[in-house]
Amino acid sequence: MLIYLLRRLLLMIPTLLGITVVVFTVMAMSPGGISAQTLIGGMDMKPDERQALLNYYNKRYGLDQPAYRQYLRWLNNVSPIGFTTDDTGKTGDFSFTKGMDLGTSFQYGRPVSDILAERIPITLLLNLVTIPVTYLIAILVGMKSATGRGGRFDIGMGMSMMALWSIPTMLAGVLLLGFFANIQHLQWFPTAGIGSREAQDMPFLPHWSDTGFVRGFLLDRIWHLVLPVICLSYGGFAALAKLTRTSILENLYSDYARTARAKGLAENEVLWKHVFRNSLLPLITISAGLLPSLLAGSLIVENIFSINGMGQLAVEAVKGRDRELVLSITWVSGFLTLIGYLLADFCYSLADPRVSYD
Amino acid sequence: MTKPDLGHESFSARIWRKTLAGVGVKLGFYWVGLLVFCAVFAPFLANSMPLLMSKNGVISAPVLQYLSVEDVWVLLTFCIALAVVRLRLSSGKRSLLFLAGSLATALFANLWIKPPVLVIYDDFRSAEYTAADWRIMPPIPYAPSDYLRDLGSKGLEAPFATAGHVHLMGTEENGADVASRMIHAARIALSIGLIASGIALLIGVVVGGLMGYFSGIVDMLGMRLVEIFEDIPTLFLLLTFVAFFGRSLYMMMVIIGVTSWSGYARFVRTEFLKLRKQDYVQAAVASGLPLTSILFRHMLPNGIAPLLVSLSFGIAGAILSEATLSFLGLGVVDAPSWGQMLDQAVKSSTFNWWMAAFPGGAIFMTVFSYNLIGEAFRDAIDPKLTQKPGAQS
Repeated sequence: MLIYLLRRLLLMIPTLLGITVVVFTVMAMSPGGISAQTLIGGMDMKPDERQALLNYYNKRYGLDQPAYRQYLRWLNNVSPIGFTTDDTGKTGDFSFTKGMDLGTSFQYGRPVSDILAERIPITLLLNLVTIPVTYLIAILVGMKSATGRGGRFDIGMGMSMMALWSIPTMLAGVLLLGFFANIQHLQWFPTAGIGSREAQDMPFLPHWSDTGFVRGFLLDRIWHLVLPVICLSYGGFAALAKLTRTSILENLYSDYARTARAKGLAENEVLWKHVFRNSLLPLITISAGLLPSLLAGSLIVENIFSINGMGQLAVEAVKGRDRELVLSITWVSGFLTLIGYLLADFCYSLADPRVSYD
Repeated sequence: MTKPDLGHESFSARIWRKTLAGVGVKLGFYWVGLLVFCAVFAPFLANSMPLLMSKNGVISAPVLQYLSVEDVWVLLTFCIALAVVRLRLSSGKRSLLFLAGSLATALFANLWIKPPVLVIYDDFRSAEYTAADWRIMPPIPYAPSDYLRDLGSKGLEAPFATAGHVHLMGTEENGADVASRMIHAARIALSIGLIASGIALLIGVVVGGLMGYFSGIVDMLGMRLVEIFEDIPTLFLLLTFVAFFGRSLYMMMVIIGVTSWSGYARFVRTEFLKLRKQDYVQAAVASGLPLTSILFRHMLPNGIAPLLVSLSFGIAGAILSEATLSFLGLGVVDAPSWGQMLDQAVKSSTFNWWMAAFPGGAIFMTVFSYNLIGEAFRDAIDPKLTQKPGAQS
């Protein structure tokens, strides 16, 4: 198992390298590319100040060098092992302990690692809440449609899941925001962010105080997350419910299910202990692909609901041509995706004892 | 119960018959048909100028004078497509004829069509045009970029709320008619869907075909490439491409195509891995046929039916990608698009339901239609479902 894990982790390295190469090439090949000129193009400055800034960018990021040298330089800075560099950009000795340096964002003037450390937990929180919701609804709906195949529930759900699946996230987000979080209509939910400012000082759990009901940090978070999570999850559970249905249908009338019924097990027992467990496998396979699509979905959702997560950061970064930030976001999201695949493989071996990775 | 299919029905004819049997898929085709109609005849459906007018006994058609190069090209290409479908030729010749025809018309339109550079829509509401003996206006008498300044449009008026003139779907923030913009935006949606997924299909088939046919080292390298493109969130890659390469419509088609081929490649690869050791492929190799012939004439037709299923889903995905990009403010700037209108709905300080519901509904219906078509197609192709009658979902 350990060897398998190591091999998988090592295999990630070329993929991650490839991902950054692709994105870097896109940026380097674009008209204008990334040069100090384009970065300070719009600023209103005196000529000598402009020249000084130009020189600073060139020295700091090596923007006057050919693209491949820039990439290697970036790679050397980012990788945990490599050549040490000093402030002037000269390379020193090879070192195994120099640590990762993600660089400084052009746009924000802050270390990329700091920015990412702020933003990633927010996006992860969104996605980690979304995934269980998605699976719960998908499994319940899928199970009910499969057991009552051809019935009213099945056909109705089949159609509506297909429809749900086709609703663009932006439309759902805009309508939810417009009707449930707007002064013109129902003002049930907050319009932006994932927490109100006053909630920072509240105790964690909701309780009654002298002034009345205090919703507490937890409830405030949940209150803010309702609309974004609905937006993120409906597409996923629509697709998964269909999959669950077909997968359960395949197993529902199989030999082992008949045997289980014949030996007198209750139907619920047969369904959840025998059929369901075997039907889980395709769901787990799909879960690997769920994370990338959720990351992409949070790009839209975070923009609609003004949540300061990775998705919003990504849009800001590419709009501002922020090379360091774009590259880091790329490899981090790629890394998360790959970890998702790995986790899915592990869950697969948990659900199906026949699968082993030794 | 389905009766066993005996007779002279070809494989493709049977697939078509089965695909069209469902109710949902008919809905899908109707909607796509409606979109095609809107896209082709957009200038005649929604425009500020009269279709036909008679003044002092002289009959003129102002719409025709103001047709742009694109309008003419779309119209002519549509006619060619209709004509080509009628011809009794093999499908390969048909598509070649169609491509050649559309290229020729593109050339022709670019050389000969010189529409007036400056269009002042207010003029069409002046006495010169209104004081005619008779005139026929388009169903929606507003052009998409006619901001109705002379009518005192304040922008963001709800449907039917304006006194004096009718706006079926209200007006957007600059005062233009939303219904008119919707009709013209059908063009972008359809063309992006078809061309972008066409490009993706082409790249996917070539890369996947080579991978599957050669297997071994080519396969391994190719799979790494596919994995790389799969692991970058597509939307993010798209954003990067668009933000760094500019936002023309054609660029966007290429970009969406280039970023979404990995699924097709994976699919063709598995098909070709199955086929490569089959006898007829071995025979083709043994008789010394060139590689392109083996790949595309002998192997591809056997794997193409399931590919069309993913093409249908791919078109839906491409339309969605374009809408998303426009929504994030990275779309085409000079032409109306559904995503861009949806973006306006969010950006404005008040929530205007008609700005969200109509364009969003159009995106939804289009994506839904293509998904329904894809689904029906998949069910028609799936041999498992043919054996088990009544099992279709």
